[in-house]
Amino acid sequence: MGQIITANVATSLYWLGRYIERIEKTLYQVIKAYDKVIDVDKDAGVKLYDNFGIDLKYDNALEFLDIALTGEHSSNMLTLSGFARENAIISRNHLNNASFGEIIALNALFQNTTKAHVIIDYKIIDDAQSLISEIWGEFAKREHKQNNDYFIKLGKLVEEVDFYFRFHAEDEYSEIIVGEIHTILDILSGKTASSTSQSQKQSGTSSDTMSAIYKKIDTIIIE
Amino acid sequence: MLEKETELHKKFWEIYSKQDIKKIKEFQTYMDKFAVNFNLYKDGNFIERSLPFDVIPRIISKQEFNKIEKGLQQRVHALNLFLEDLYSDAKIVKEGIIPQEFVEQASGYLKEFKGFSPSKKIRTHINGIDLVKDTVNDEWVILEDNLRVPSGSSYPLSIRDTYRTIYPDFFEQLKIEPIKEYPSFIANAMDYVNCGGINVVLTPGRFNSAYYEHSYLAEKMNAQLVRSHELVVKDKKLYFKNYNGKLIRVGSVYRRLDDDFIDPTFFNPQSLIGVPGIVEAYLAGNVALMNAIGNGVADDKGIYYFVPKMIQYYLGEEPILKNAPTYLPYFTKDKEYIFNNIEKLVIKDVAEAGGYGVLFGHTMTKIQLDDLKKIIEAEPRRFIAQELIEFYDEQCYLNQELVARKADFRAYVVMGEDIKVWQCGLTRYALEEGNYLVNSSQGGGFKDTWIMEL
Repeated sequence: MGQIITANVATSLYWLGRYIERIEKTLYQVIKAYDKVIDVDKDAGVKLYDNFGIDLKYDNALEFLDIALTGEHSSNMLTLSGFARENAIISRNHLNNASFGEIIALNALFQNTTKAHVIIDYKIIDDAQSLISEIWGEFAKREHKQNNDYFIKLGKLVEEVDFYFRFHAEDEYSEIIVGEIHTILDILSGKTASSTSQSQKQSGTSSDTMSAIYKKIDTIIIE
Repeated sequence: MLEKETELHKKFWEIYSKQDIKKIKEFQTYMDKFAVNFNLYKDGNFIERSLPFDVIPRIISKQEFNKIEKGLQQRVHALNLFLEDLYSDAKIVKEGIIPQEFVEQASGYLKEFKGFSPSKKIRTHINGIDLVKDTVNDEWVILEDNLRVPSGSSYPLSIRDTYRTIYPDFFEQLKIEPIKEYPSFIANAMDYVNCGGINVVLTPGRFNSAYYEHSYLAEKMNAQLVRSHELVVKDKKLYFKNYNGKLIRVGSVYRRLDDDFIDPTFFNPQSLIGVPGIVEAYLAGNVALMNAIGNGVADDKGIYYFVPKMIQYYLGEEPILKNAPTYLPYFTKDKEYIFNNIEKLVIKDVAEAGGYGVLFGHTMTKIQLDDLKKIIEAEPRRFIAQELIEFYDEQCYLNQELVARKADFRAYVVMGEDIKVWQCGLTRYALEEGNYLVNSSQGGGFKDTWIMEL
């Protein structure tokens, strides 16, 4: 019979994967930019958030960290982890307890930070990264037994390639990720992986590649 | 008033005295982390909150619980027979055991379902029976039967695992009945009545107060958790809409929504959480609904009065568990008694649930009581009156001290091929001293229930 899962849960698992990956990748970029803002390039944070279409203003490195993570914009950590939490709640009966708990804890970490007006420092990023590692670890543990994890993995890879395109030119690495995405899409659509993934190699611009992926996802998850 | 301490309690307190009480906060951490919530709507706002939990368990001896178990099996058996009879020949009415008018005026009675018998003639699949232990006779008394969508089992189920992790000594040194099997009781009952297809749990959605429970039980039962629009009816058969658009036949639905909302084409047309056509599939015998449609008549607070008579009528047995002394103003003699003693009685509106519509005569002024009498006189079928049961308090550890609080006990009984009583239950306690309302929707908390033997 194959996998039994509602479109709503499939979509939630997909977006859960995307948001966790987005948080992880954003934190990684923020740390890199933070280091530069201190004494190499004052505008490194501005340039970074320009990639997200966000106009960031700050006076020093710590303020950059604070505004990047908790400022009033669509890529702050409270918002992103809140979306991850919501998707986890909707799909929780397809997640194991440990991964669900870590996702709730990740959101609680940023909630407490925002509520308590704690000065953002490296420790919070460290704590968040530990939680994210645990979340991915729990997902990885389950992969051999739960087909539903393909949706999480799909979301993770789509976010990864989307991020990659924002920060890098198209290259061999992005091709590898796109190949993996198509393999999963083939599995989910019930096709044999080898028959189509070869033909789905990256072609055209990054925008064309992303459009092709989204189009294929829309044919697989039918609301 | 606390129950007399037994050897089991002494053993518990002996181990308790050696535990690190500071670890209690880990329970809250667990509930926050795993979103063990009972959500509320307050002033139009959705509030996610965890249910208050107390670490001191209710302890019931295995011997005492055996009697409760037999009494509950007897009661649920009789209630199922009553519903099957009522919706077919209605012999119990024809023979004058229950007045016809009394049944027909029950809001949960659905005459449209007369003549329909569900899969395997089972209607009361999942039942939550509320009991208290009376201090006067030192015996368990039934307060209410919940035969529609009783909730609450997931909270003790979830917390037991945590309890074992935080304080393993109790479980190593005491003989406490294991409780993990409850979801399998439901899953087995679903399989038993299944009309061909997969099992699903139908939830109103993410913002329902008991969404945590729906999701938890679906996972443990290996059933799909679905919202109404993820199901569709075609040719009087119910289907699950898979993510890829394929339709998969559904054979059994554990629905977590009331009759009124389950099918907008049959009941409330305004319902956005129901499945159009599901009643038609049900009536065609193509899908089992748990619990059956129309059960509301049997857990009507007025019909409760007749349950001991049902046990005698259908089973030819005396009830093992008693009802609280109850009076129906519908009967003239009872009404006189109620009016003469109203200040010491508890008056309940039969249409309300969750602790709403409960009035304690001793807390009301003379003017309020006179007004209440007028309302009862005008609508006698709408109310029942009960003697105020002085039920035992339970020890609770609240704000770093041991205090006594009123507590009831909801037992869970699952009917499939046989009738199973879960060796646990939901003990609910009132947060304030002297308060008799323990319902979660009234702000009450919960504690674990340990069925123990020496």
